[in-house]
Amino acid sequence: MTTHFVDVLAIEDAALAQVTNREDMTRWRRRVVRELMRPQSRYATALRRVPDSAAGRDFLVTWQGLLTAAVERVLSSENPPEVRSAAGRRHHDRRAADELAVLILAALHGGGLLSRVADDPAPLEAALDIALAPLTTPSARRGSCPADERPGGNMNR
Amino acid sequence: MYVKGVAATTVDDVLAATGSSKSQFYHHFKSREALVRAVVDHVGQTVLARERESLGNVSTLRGLRRWRDALVQSNALRHGAYGCALGALASEVSDHDDLARKALSQLFAEWRGLLADVLRRLQADGVLKSEVSVDQLATGLMGALQGGYMLAQAERDVSPMATSIDMALAHIESLSAT
Repeated sequence: MTTHFVDVLAIEDAALAQVTNREDMTRWRRRVVRELMRPQSRYATALRRVPDSAAGRDFLVTWQGLLTAAVERVLSSENPPEVRSAAGRRHHDRRAADELAVLILAALHGGGLLSRVADDPAPLEAALDIALAPLTTPSARRGSCPADERPGGNMNR
Repeated sequence: MYVKGVAATTVDDVLAATGSSKSQFYHHFKSREALVRAVVDHVGQTVLARERESLGNVSTLRGLRRWRDALVQSNALRHGAYGCALGALASEVSDHDDLARKALSQLFAEWRGLLADVLRRLQADGVLKSEVSVDQLATGLMGALQGGYMLAQAERDVSPMATSIDMALAHIESLSAT
């Protein structure tokens, strides 16, 4: 795997392992936004090069796995233990965490691109506001429903 | 340029693809950069015309989902291989060509404006809460869309694009007034 992919994953592996609640996730967000807004940063370079190679796909899959685990911990921290212990709830949380991780990656990728083009962090921040809303405002998550229950949702899975 | 990417496309490639001579090329374009900027403008106007057509009359959440379905289905035909034509250009040229970057910024702002107009109509009809910032929401949705295109391109699979837009639309839905 290319150096910038390895470097970013090493940083993210350590940083996301520390994320267990909303506050941790907010700190993670602030750091990643700073990284992405520096045009020559490893993060910006890695995300630019993702579509070019199979290594880019592996990079995304690994990062998504780290994000899923972190999101799952944050979601679990919001739920009482007796609810968490139910198998159905665990499955739901795992799936919700998987989908959120995809949206967070998309927000970093697409928001980062729009921010570089506009030379303004606002698009990246707006994209992350949507992606992280279920973690920072739990009521918003409860207001949404799983993809396969939404009209027109999950058509390609 | 759409298939090979901007960086990998030489003037000779353009001459071969168009059957033009070098003198004809430089009669129309002062440089390769000028050609790239013309491509940005052409692609941008094409994408915006499509989006005006598909978003212009959308005033319901169902209509917004239909817009999503059309984009995902269209991208699925190519397994997401080429991504968004405008996003792919932006990714390649915005760090190297400031004029092209500014043109792309304007094109994305117009696209985002079309999404904001949809959300404003939803707000006017009482579907979205009045305190919601539609401009910020439209910007975030645009980020999810562009990121979704890029994930689909990397994975040669449109599923992550579908998921990212679905999740963003679910967030918008969670802000409904009812």
